[in-house]
Amino acid sequence: MAEGMDVSEGCRLPVLRRNQDNEDEWPLAEILSVKDISGRKLFYVHYIDFNKRLDEWVTQERLDLQRVQGPRKEAKTPTKNGLPGSRPGSPDRDTKRKLEVVSPATPVPAATETSPASVFPQDSQDSSDGAPQAPRMTGSLVSDRSHDDIVTRMKNIECIELGRHRLKPWYFSPYPQELTALPVLYLCEFCLKYGHSLRCLQRHLTKCDLRHPPGNEIYRKGTISFFEIDGRKNKSYSQNLCLLAKCFLDHKTLYYDTDPFLFYVMTEYDCKGFHIVYFSKEKESTEDYNVACILTLPPYQRRGYGKLLIEFSYELSKVEGKTGTPEKPLSDLGLLSYRSYWSQTILEILMGLKAEGGERPQITINEISEITSIKKEDVISTLQYLNLINYYKGQYILTLSEDIVEGHERAMLKRLLRIDAKCLHFTPKDWSKRGKW
Amino acid sequence: MSKLSFRARALDAAKPLPIYRGKDMPDLNDCVSINRAVPQMPTGMEKEEESEHHLQRAISAQQVFREKKESMVIPVPEAESNVNYYNRLYKGEFKQPKQFIHIQPFNLDNEQPDYDMDSEDETLLNRLNRKMEIKPLQFEIMVDRLEKASSSQLVTLQEAKLLLNEDDYLIKAVYDYWVRKRKNCRGPSLIPQIKQEKRDGSTNNDPYVAFRRRTEKMQTRKNRKNDEASYEKMLKLRREFSRAITILEMIKRREKTKRELLHLTLEVVEKRYHLGDYGGEILNEVKLNRPEKEMSTTPSSLHNGNHHKVQECKVKHPHHSSLKEEVSDVVRQKKKYLKKPKIECVVTPQQPSAEPLPVINKSDIKQYDFHSSDEDEFPQVPSPVSETEEENDPDGPCAFRRRAGCQYYAPRLDQTNSSYENSELAELDKLRFRHCLTTLTIPRRCIGFARRRIGRGGRVIMDRISTEHDPVLRQIDPEMLNSSSSSSQTLDFSSNFSRTNASNKHCENRLSLSEILSNIRSCRLQCFQPRLLNLQDSDNEECTSRKTGQTVNNKRVSAASVALLNTSKNGISVTGGITEEQFQTHQQQLVQMQRQQLAQLQQKQQSQHSSQQTHPKAQSSSTSDCMSKTLDSASAHFAASAVVSAPAPSRSEVTKEQNTSHNNINGVVQPSGTSRTLYSTNMALSSSPGISAVQLVRTVGHTTTNHLIPALCTSSPQTLPMNNSCLTNTVHLNNVSVVSPVNVHINTRTSAPSPTALKLATVAASIDRVPKVTPSSAISSIARENHEPERLGLNGIAETTVAMEVT
Repeated sequence: MAEGMDVSEGCRLPVLRRNQDNEDEWPLAEILSVKDISGRKLFYVHYIDFNKRLDEWVTQERLDLQRVQGPRKEAKTPTKNGLPGSRPGSPDRDTKRKLEVVSPATPVPAATETSPASVFPQDSQDSSDGAPQAPRMTGSLVSDRSHDDIVTRMKNIECIELGRHRLKPWYFSPYPQELTALPVLYLCEFCLKYGHSLRCLQRHLTKCDLRHPPGNEIYRKGTISFFEIDGRKNKSYSQNLCLLAKCFLDHKTLYYDTDPFLFYVMTEYDCKGFHIVYFSKEKESTEDYNVACILTLPPYQRRGYGKLLIEFSYELSKVEGKTGTPEKPLSDLGLLSYRSYWSQTILEILMGLKAEGGERPQITINEISEITSIKKEDVISTLQYLNLINYYKGQYILTLSEDIVEGHERAMLKRLLRIDAKCLHFTPKDWSKRGKW
Repeated sequence: MSKLSFRARALDAAKPLPIYRGKDMPDLNDCVSINRAVPQMPTGMEKEEESEHHLQRAISAQQVFREKKESMVIPVPEAESNVNYYNRLYKGEFKQPKQFIHIQPFNLDNEQPDYDMDSEDETLLNRLNRKMEIKPLQFEIMVDRLEKASSSQLVTLQEAKLLLNEDDYLIKAVYDYWVRKRKNCRGPSLIPQIKQEKRDGSTNNDPYVAFRRRTEKMQTRKNRKNDEASYEKMLKLRREFSRAITILEMIKRREKTKRELLHLTLEVVEKRYHLGDYGGEILNEVKLNRPEKEMSTTPSSLHNGNHHKVQECKVKHPHHSSLKEEVSDVVRQKKKYLKKPKIECVVTPQQPSAEPLPVINKSDIKQYDFHSSDEDEFPQVPSPVSETEEENDPDGPCAFRRRAGCQYYAPRLDQTNSSYENSELAELDKLRFRHCLTTLTIPRRCIGFARRRIGRGGRVIMDRISTEHDPVLRQIDPEMLNSSSSSSQTLDFSSNFSRTNASNKHCENRLSLSEILSNIRSCRLQCFQPRLLNLQDSDNEECTSRKTGQTVNNKRVSAASVALLNTSKNGISVTGGITEEQFQTHQQQLVQMQRQQLAQLQQKQQSQHSSQQTHPKAQSSSTSDCMSKTLDSASAHFAASAVVSAPAPSRSEVTKEQNTSHNNINGVVQPSGTSRTLYSTNMALSSSPGISAVQLVRTVGHTTTNHLIPALCTSSPQTLPMNNSCLTNTVHLNNVSVVSPVNVHINTRTSAPSPTALKLATVAASIDRVPKVTPSSAISSIARENHEPERLGLNGIAETTVAMEVT
């Protein structure tokens, strides 16, 4: 116990972790919180340089107490309240965030509290001491310090039951606080209403006759459908959707209401109804963002739905006649998905170009952008990432190497799900002309 | 590597990039590193997350293998999809509709309780069910209501009983249970809800507060322009909505009243049934006893009354009691009408000889009404009339009462509309509202300054106003007016300045000199007798009078004397505001005009004798019309001549009514009305404009230059307001010099084309109307001519006027 006493919030130490290959590793981790459940101490650890979604509660046995680093840079802790951003020369918020990740929160939640739920409010109060600053009103992703709240850095929901799935949330989500202590949070699969017990859900289902997202179907091909939901007209569903999405989107903010957003929910139909497979959330009228949040629910991940969702978002942009880009910051998975989509889309075009009249095929970046609705910057970054751009004989050229071509062809073989633009029935609305959303 | 020394140009997105593939690929060693030229694009990720192990591994794996490897996938917390009771939970099947699903936005909220029962509740329910039946949904509704009714403070049992429509025992049981459960509840409510923000901002950083309202103005960079417009639109929308609300409320009231009426009718029928009043005798008895009430119930619709206005006006003039002073008059300075002529006119037309008897008026009432209504149309437009009507609730014998079984027509919109079409004409109306020296026919006496309004049911209401001249005016004997002395005489006589509204009750009979004097002062010449001779003299005086009149006008001291002259022939001069300059110019013109007029008059007098009645009427009306509408005297002349000429044979008959109307018009203030009548006649009759003009002039002469002049004057003031100050000036001038006004008008026309044109147009309009009024074909013809010029445009009008002058 003596050792355990030493381990407090902010300490860093190697923590045992089993990797994908079932190997034991001892990555460095930071203690974010400590709680005591019936005499057993549990530590909430964040593995340094691993995504937060892998953070977890661990028992003391998994801590390498021999190599504890005390809370670092005690002096920096006040930065928790959001003041350090003005560090000169640092690319502002990035540095800030880094610092804060490194230096854990000062506010020490009553570590002995048995109920984690009661821990949170104190935290949040403490963290609000700093100049309270509302995040920007546009967009749905947060990149500022309001995210650094110790509370929001910790998962608060143990498990969510949604339809036939049980999901382990990755991140914090502001479900009603009294529900966060539950082992399982029960959601209605169709209206996404949350209940605290299976019985509640049963009762709810006797009253809820929804079998599809409460919006207009704008795309259907096979079993795949897309529904458009107006965040202003359908508040309760939009909010429930956001709460669920927040469980899997680190940077998503639910600070403001859902009014300015449109939600495009992709569903897979079966005899029970339209199961919400994916949903993306899209917003109109901002700085070229054609996607605010995009998410494939974990049970459906790695099946090509993510790319389908991205493709759909660009199809919408094509209809609107605009180019678009996802709202930043991207998550790791988001970056991979988008890069993959961009690469495949652009390569598809490049390889589809035929030589005309003996001339070498050529294309401008703007043309690529227009064809695909991918924003120019994203086109360039993708070309760069694929290492296609070279400077040859005084001009830029695009080089398609053999392995790139092969890799692309292999990838396209796996990409069976595609959006069929003919199945899209979508008329964009000019939201700017109808005032506010 | 030497190539490296060259700086690669920046990547141009608009520049075609040739694509090299496979064997075409140049040796990459020949390619230059482009790191400098193409800036590295940011990934769009948070920096510290970019460095995460799994991501880096995945990225590198992709770059190496060009595709994802299973082992290189970023690990995520597991998800299970093995909820085995799923099929039990989600019962039933859902068939995919063939059509795309389209949802109605407000279809969603079915009145289901938000509260979902849990197993604990189930226990209670089972217990309760031993004693009574309670269904889960029922229970949920109860809890739901309790929850939603209470905030941090729980609902009391009493309140709960009000909230819940259930058995008391059940309520008590559920309530107690709910209170207990609520107290044990961790959350703020048994229905879990997202934490709400608090207004004080204390929750700004509470991570559990979500979906805050966007109170601050959203940055609408791109929409900024729209914001303003849309804001205004919203304001407008709001206004319109509130208007709609008002309308709806009124409808509601109306419907309520209807319902009441229905009930009352029902009651009446029932009562009658009980009384055995099957034949309706009792009902009729009762009805007879209360005619007045019905009257009162009749809507005080202004327009309806108009038809009757004239008649009643005439009738009423004698009754001083009906005369009221209106404060509002002062406010509406511009609107002044001459009421005097009407009464007399009415009388005169029928019986040229003499005295406009009220009786006569009565007989002719309808006809007069017609004319009068025409005249009145102008005043109607302003709509003050209606107000006044309401104010002066007529009492006594003159009170208008709806007669059972009598149909009252709606206001004749066509005429009014026509009058309105000319904005100028509309303004002329204002002139009518001037106060003028007024003389009553029946109790023959001068009542000082007054103005005529037409009240409900066509009663004519005299609004009197006290002026400095009152003492003088009192001394005026209407008989003095009778003397067919030329206006000049009157002017001379009352060198003071006051012009007399010599309203020739019957033809030229009565001109009150003192009145004339006073009128002169006020620049309002109302009465006159057909004498053209005094033009020059009068001019001088007129000048003075004009000045005074102008001042008066400016002050809006409505010292307008309404000469109620029954004399059909005599025109009444109305005061109008004129600038001195205009006045002078006008004077000269007037002199010429007068001369011409004199000549014409002399010629015409002969012819007129036969149709004196009509002539004077026509003259007055025409003159007044011309004057009023257009400052131009020429137009007035035309009108007058037209009237005169037309009347000759047939006038005696037709003119009776017309004359009466004209006489009413005599006040000159009323020219509009006459003009309208002329208009109508014009419509009917087609004549050469020149002739008509001549005729008009002649007629003027016959009746009395004075008459003509005053009419002109009166008309002119009206026109004056219409036109700008210049026009008004001219009008004044006209007023001042009975004869001269015509000249002035002419001159003005020639000299100042634009204003004159306007005037002409107005005159023409008035003339047109006049012809309508006058039944005589000649008049009508004149009127037509006049009309034509109007149609042609200002220029055309001017031409016509000129022609008239020549004639």
